[in-house]
Amino acid sequence: MAVPKRKQSRSNTRSRRSQWKAEAPKLVKTTENGKTVYRLPHRANVVEDSAGTPLYLEYKGRKVADV
Amino acid sequence: MPKPTKGPRLGGGPAHERLLLANLAAALFTHKSIQTTETKAKRLRPFAERLITFAKRGDLHSRRRVLAVIPDKDVVYELFSEIAPLVAEREGGYTRITKTGFRKGDNAPMAVIELVLEPVSKKPASSKKSAARADVKPATADAPAAEEAPAAEAPAADEQPETTEVEVPVEAEESAPAEDAESGAEAPAESDEDAAK
Repeated sequence: MAVPKRKQSRSNTRSRRSQWKAEAPKLVKTTENGKTVYRLPHRANVVEDSAGTPLYLEYKGRKVADV
Repeated sequence: MPKPTKGPRLGGGPAHERLLLANLAAALFTHKSIQTTETKAKRLRPFAERLITFAKRGDLHSRRRVLAVIPDKDVVYELFSEIAPLVAEREGGYTRITKTGFRKGDNAPMAVIELVLEPVSKKPASSKKSAARADVKPATADAPAAEEAPAAEAPAADEQPETTEVEVPVEAEESAPAEDAESGAEAPAESDEDAAK
Protein backbone atom coordinates (compact mmCIF):
# COMPACT_ATOMS: atom_id res chain seq x y z
CA MET A 1 0.00 0.00 0.00
CA ALA A 2 1.26 3.45 -0.88
CA VAL A 3 2.14 5.46 2.23
CA PRO A 4 2.99 9.20 2.52
CA LYS A 5 6.69 9.70 3.01
CA ARG A 6 6.41 12.96 4.95
CA LYS A 7 4.01 14.76 7.16
CA GLN A 8 2.18 17.40 5.14
CA SER A 9 3.15 20.84 6.35
CA ARG A 10 0.67 23.15 7.98
CA SER A 11 1.33 25.62 5.17
CA ASN A 12 0.39 23.16 2.43
CA THR A 13 -2.76 22.17 4.25
CA ARG A 14 -3.79 25.76 4.73
CA SER A 15 -2.95 26.71 1.15
CA ARG A 16 -5.22 23.95 -0.11
CA ARG A 17 -8.02 24.88 2.23
CA SER A 18 -7.80 28.54 1.25
CA GLN A 19 -9.41 27.53 -2.04
CA TRP A 20 -12.59 26.26 -0.35
CA LYS A 21 -15.00 29.08 -0.96
CA ALA A 22 -18.68 29.40 -0.42
CA GLU A 23 -20.56 31.13 -3.19
CA ALA A 24 -23.65 33.17 -2.54
CA PRO A 25 -26.65 31.88 -4.51
CA LYS A 26 -27.73 34.18 -7.30
CA LEU A 27 -31.23 35.23 -6.40
CA VAL A 28 -33.86 37.23 -8.19
CA LYS A 29 -35.87 39.95 -6.50
CA THR A 30 -39.61 39.70 -6.91
CA THR A 31 -42.49 41.57 -5.35
CA GLU A 32 -45.39 39.50 -4.05
CA ASN A 33 -48.37 41.08 -2.29
CA GLY A 34 -46.32 44.22 -1.69
CA LYS A 35 -43.49 42.31 -0.05
CA THR A 36 -40.07 41.99 -1.65
CA VAL A 37 -38.84 38.41 -1.70
CA TYR A 38 -35.69 36.80 -3.06
CA ARG A 39 -36.00 33.54 -4.94
CA LEU A 40 -33.88 31.17 -6.97
CA PRO A 41 -34.48 31.87 -10.66
CA HIS A 42 -36.23 29.26 -12.86
CA ARG A 43 -37.21 27.14 -9.90
CA ALA A 44 -40.62 26.33 -8.48
CA ASN A 45 -41.35 27.87 -5.12
CA VAL A 46 -43.32 26.54 -2.19
CA VAL A 47 -46.69 28.13 -1.57
CA GLU A 48 -47.54 28.39 2.11
CA ASP A 49 -50.74 29.27 3.87
CA SER A 50 -50.93 32.02 6.47
CA ALA A 51 -49.72 29.69 9.23
CA GLY A 52 -46.57 28.85 7.25
CA THR A 53 -47.58 25.30 6.40
CA PRO A 54 -46.27 24.32 2.96
CA LEU A 55 -49.14 23.55 0.57
CA TYR A 56 -47.72 22.86 -2.89
CA LEU A 57 -45.02 23.81 -5.37
CA GLU A 58 -45.86 26.51 -7.86
CA TYR A 59 -44.11 27.83 -10.96
CA LYS A 60 -45.40 30.66 -13.15
CA GLY A 61 -48.88 30.46 -11.66
CA ARG A 62 -49.12 26.73 -12.29
CA LYS A 63 -49.26 24.10 -9.58
CA VAL A 64 -46.36 21.75 -10.21
CA ALA A 65 -46.34 19.18 -7.43
CA ASP A 66 -47.32 18.48 -3.89
CA VAL A 67 -44.76 19.05 -1.18
CA MET B 1 -34.72 12.13 -33.66
CA PRO B 2 -33.03 12.97 -30.36
CA LYS B 3 -29.51 14.31 -30.49
CA PRO B 4 -27.02 11.77 -29.13
CA THR B 5 -25.87 12.63 -25.65
CA LYS B 6 -22.26 13.33 -24.93
CA GLY B 7 -20.47 12.28 -21.79
CA PRO B 8 -20.95 9.39 -19.40
CA ARG B 9 -24.05 7.21 -19.32
CA LEU B 10 -26.60 7.40 -16.57
CA GLY B 11 -26.30 4.60 -14.05
CA GLY B 12 -23.52 2.11 -14.43
CA GLY B 13 -23.27 1.68 -18.20
CA PRO B 14 -25.08 1.75 -21.52
CA ALA B 15 -27.42 -1.12 -20.63
CA HIS B 16 -28.16 0.39 -17.24
CA GLU B 17 -28.97 3.70 -18.86
CA ARG B 18 -31.34 2.07 -21.35
CA LEU B 19 -33.19 0.30 -18.57
CA LEU B 20 -33.24 3.40 -16.40
CA LEU B 21 -34.69 5.59 -19.14
CA ALA B 22 -37.22 2.92 -20.12
CA ASN B 23 -38.40 2.62 -16.52
CA LEU B 24 -38.60 6.40 -16.14
CA ALA B 25 -40.60 6.67 -19.37
CA ALA B 26 -42.99 3.92 -18.24
CA ALA B 27 -43.45 5.72 -14.91
CA LEU B 28 -44.06 8.99 -16.73
CA PHE B 29 -46.73 7.45 -18.97
CA THR B 30 -48.53 5.80 -16.05
CA HIS B 31 -48.42 8.74 -13.64
CA LYS B 32 -48.32 11.65 -16.19
CA SER B 33 -46.00 13.55 -13.87
CA ILE B 34 -42.95 12.29 -12.01
CA GLN B 35 -40.30 13.82 -9.85
CA THR B 36 -36.69 12.92 -10.55
CA THR B 37 -33.28 14.58 -10.72
CA GLU B 38 -32.73 17.36 -13.23
CA THR B 39 -30.19 15.32 -15.18
CA LYS B 40 -32.48 12.33 -15.54
CA ALA B 41 -35.41 14.55 -16.48
CA LYS B 42 -33.38 16.22 -19.20
CA ARG B 43 -32.25 12.87 -20.58
CA LEU B 44 -35.74 11.44 -20.36
CA ARG B 45 -37.35 14.26 -22.34
CA PRO B 46 -36.18 13.35 -25.90
CA PHE B 47 -36.49 9.65 -25.10
CA ALA B 48 -40.11 9.89 -23.95
CA GLU B 49 -41.11 12.29 -26.70
CA ARG B 50 -39.82 9.89 -29.31
CA LEU B 51 -42.02 7.15 -27.85
CA ILE B 52 -45.00 9.52 -27.95
CA THR B 53 -44.27 10.20 -31.61
CA PHE B 54 -44.49 6.46 -32.23
CA ALA B 55 -47.75 6.39 -30.30
CA LYS B 56 -49.17 9.18 -32.46
CA ARG B 57 -48.36 7.15 -35.57
CA GLY B 58 -50.33 4.39 -33.92
CA ASP B 59 -49.77 1.44 -36.28
CA LEU B 60 -48.70 -2.06 -35.32
CA HIS B 61 -45.07 -1.55 -36.31
CA SER B 62 -44.68 1.52 -34.13
CA ARG B 63 -46.42 -0.30 -31.29
CA ARG B 64 -43.88 -3.09 -31.54
CA ARG B 65 -41.04 -0.60 -31.60
CA VAL B 66 -42.33 0.95 -28.37
CA LEU B 67 -42.83 -2.50 -26.86
CA ALA B 68 -39.17 -3.19 -27.59
CA VAL B 69 -38.33 -0.35 -25.19
CA ILE B 70 -41.12 -0.64 -22.64
CA PRO B 71 -42.05 -4.32 -22.23
CA ASP B 72 -45.13 -3.53 -20.14
CA LYS B 73 -48.19 -3.89 -22.37
CA ASP B 74 -50.47 -2.02 -19.98
CA VAL B 75 -48.28 1.06 -20.17
CA VAL B 76 -48.00 0.87 -23.96
CA TYR B 77 -51.76 0.44 -24.27
CA GLU B 78 -52.33 3.52 -22.16
CA LEU B 79 -49.76 5.46 -24.17
CA PHE B 80 -51.36 4.57 -27.51
CA SER B 81 -55.03 4.76 -26.54
CA GLU B 82 -55.12 7.59 -23.99
CA ILE B 83 -52.05 9.79 -24.27
CA ALA B 84 -51.66 9.80 -28.07
CA PRO B 85 -55.12 11.29 -28.85
CA LEU B 86 -54.54 14.07 -26.32
CA VAL B 87 -51.31 15.19 -27.99
CA ALA B 88 -52.50 14.58 -31.57
CA GLU B 89 -52.69 18.33 -32.31
CA ARG B 90 -49.37 19.13 -30.64
CA GLU B 91 -46.31 19.36 -32.87
CA GLY B 92 -43.66 18.18 -30.46
CA GLY B 93 -42.89 19.39 -26.96
CA TYR B 94 -45.00 16.78 -25.21
CA THR B 95 -43.24 17.12 -21.88
CA ARG B 96 -42.61 19.95 -19.47
CA ILE B 97 -39.73 20.06 -17.01
CA THR B 98 -40.02 22.28 -13.96
CA LYS B 99 -37.10 22.55 -11.57
CA THR B 100 -38.33 22.15 -8.03
CA GLY B 101 -35.80 21.97 -5.25
CA PHE B 102 -32.87 20.09 -3.83
CA ARG B 103 -33.08 16.55 -2.53
CA LYS B 104 -32.53 16.01 1.16
CA GLY B 105 -29.55 13.72 1.60
CA ASP B 106 -27.41 14.49 -1.43
CA ASN B 107 -28.67 17.98 -2.35
CA ALA B 108 -29.29 16.83 -5.92
CA PRO B 109 -31.28 19.35 -7.96
CA MET B 110 -34.71 17.86 -8.54
CA ALA B 111 -37.26 18.47 -11.27
CA VAL B 112 -40.81 17.47 -12.10
CA ILE B 113 -41.28 16.16 -15.63
CA GLU B 114 -44.87 15.96 -16.78
CA LEU B 115 -46.81 15.29 -19.95
CA VAL B 116 -48.34 18.35 -21.56
CA LEU B 117 -51.88 17.12 -22.11
CA GLU B 118 -53.71 20.44 -22.29
CA PRO B 119 -55.26 21.34 -25.66
CA VAL B 120 -52.97 23.36 -27.90
CA SER B 121 -53.48 27.14 -27.72
CA LYS B 122 -51.88 29.30 -30.39
CA LYS B 123 -49.59 32.04 -29.13
CA PRO B 124 -50.74 35.57 -30.00
CA ALA B 125 -47.15 36.60 -30.73
CA SER B 126 -46.84 34.12 -33.61
CA SER B 127 -50.08 35.40 -35.20
CA LYS B 128 -48.69 38.93 -35.10
CA LYS B 129 -45.59 37.69 -36.89
CA SER B 130 -47.63 35.97 -39.62
CA ALA B 131 -49.83 39.08 -39.95
CA ALA B 132 -46.73 41.21 -40.45
CA ARG B 133 -45.54 38.80 -43.11
CA ALA B 134 -48.97 38.87 -44.79
CA ASP B 135 -48.86 42.69 -44.85
CA VAL B 136 -45.45 42.78 -46.46
CA LYS B 137 -45.97 40.04 -49.01
CA PRO B 138 -49.09 41.33 -50.87
CA ALA B 139 -47.43 44.74 -51.38
CA THR B 140 -44.45 43.15 -53.09
CA ALA B 141 -46.61 40.68 -54.97
CA ASP B 142 -48.98 43.38 -56.28
CA ALA B 143 -46.22 45.57 -57.72
CA PRO B 144 -45.24 43.31 -60.64
CA ALA B 145 -48.80 42.01 -61.16
CA ALA B 146 -50.49 45.41 -61.20
CA GLU B 147 -52.91 44.38 -63.93
CA GLU B 148 -54.20 41.46 -61.89
CA ALA B 149 -54.46 43.61 -58.78
CA PRO B 150 -58.09 44.82 -59.20
CA ALA B 151 -59.33 41.27 -59.56
CA ALA B 152 -57.16 40.16 -56.66
CA GLU B 153 -58.25 43.03 -54.44
CA ALA B 154 -61.95 42.26 -54.75
CA PRO B 155 -61.73 38.99 -52.78
CA ALA B 156 -59.15 40.63 -50.51
CA ALA B 157 -61.66 43.35 -49.69
CA ASP B 158 -64.16 40.64 -48.83
CA GLU B 159 -61.64 39.14 -46.49
CA GLN B 160 -60.92 42.39 -44.67
CA PRO B 161 -64.15 42.55 -42.60
CA GLU B 162 -63.59 38.98 -41.52
CA THR B 163 -60.23 39.81 -39.99
CA THR B 164 -61.93 41.77 -37.25
CA GLU B 165 -64.27 38.91 -36.39
CA VAL B 166 -62.23 35.75 -36.74
CA GLU B 167 -58.50 36.24 -36.70
CA VAL B 168 -56.95 32.83 -36.91
CA PRO B 169 -58.56 31.25 -40.01
CA VAL B 170 -58.14 34.39 -42.10
CA GLU B 171 -54.52 34.67 -41.15
CA ALA B 172 -54.09 31.09 -42.15
CA GLU B 173 -55.59 31.95 -45.54
CA GLU B 174 -53.42 35.02 -45.86
CA SER B 175 -50.26 33.25 -44.86
CA ALA B 176 -50.94 30.47 -47.33
CA PRO B 177 -50.80 32.76 -50.42
CA ALA B 178 -47.75 34.46 -48.90
CA GLU B 179 -46.01 31.10 -48.70
CA ASP B 180 -47.12 30.39 -52.24
CA ALA B 181 -45.60 33.70 -53.31
CA GLU B 182 -42.39 32.74 -51.54
CA SER B 183 -42.21 29.34 -53.13
CA GLY B 184 -43.07 30.91 -56.46
CA ALA B 185 -40.24 33.39 -56.01
CA GLU B 186 -37.81 30.68 -55.03
CA ALA B 187 -38.72 28.26 -57.77
CA PRO B 188 -37.66 30.49 -60.73
CA ALA B 189 -34.39 31.32 -58.96
CA GLU B 190 -33.67 27.63 -58.58
CA SER B 191 -34.55 26.98 -62.21
CA ASP B 192 -32.16 29.79 -63.20
CA GLU B 193 -29.44 28.11 -61.20
CA ASP B 194 -30.21 24.84 -62.89
CA ALA B 195 -30.05 26.58 -66.28
CA ALA B 196 -26.70 28.11 -65.32
CA LYS B 197 -25.36 24.70 -64.46
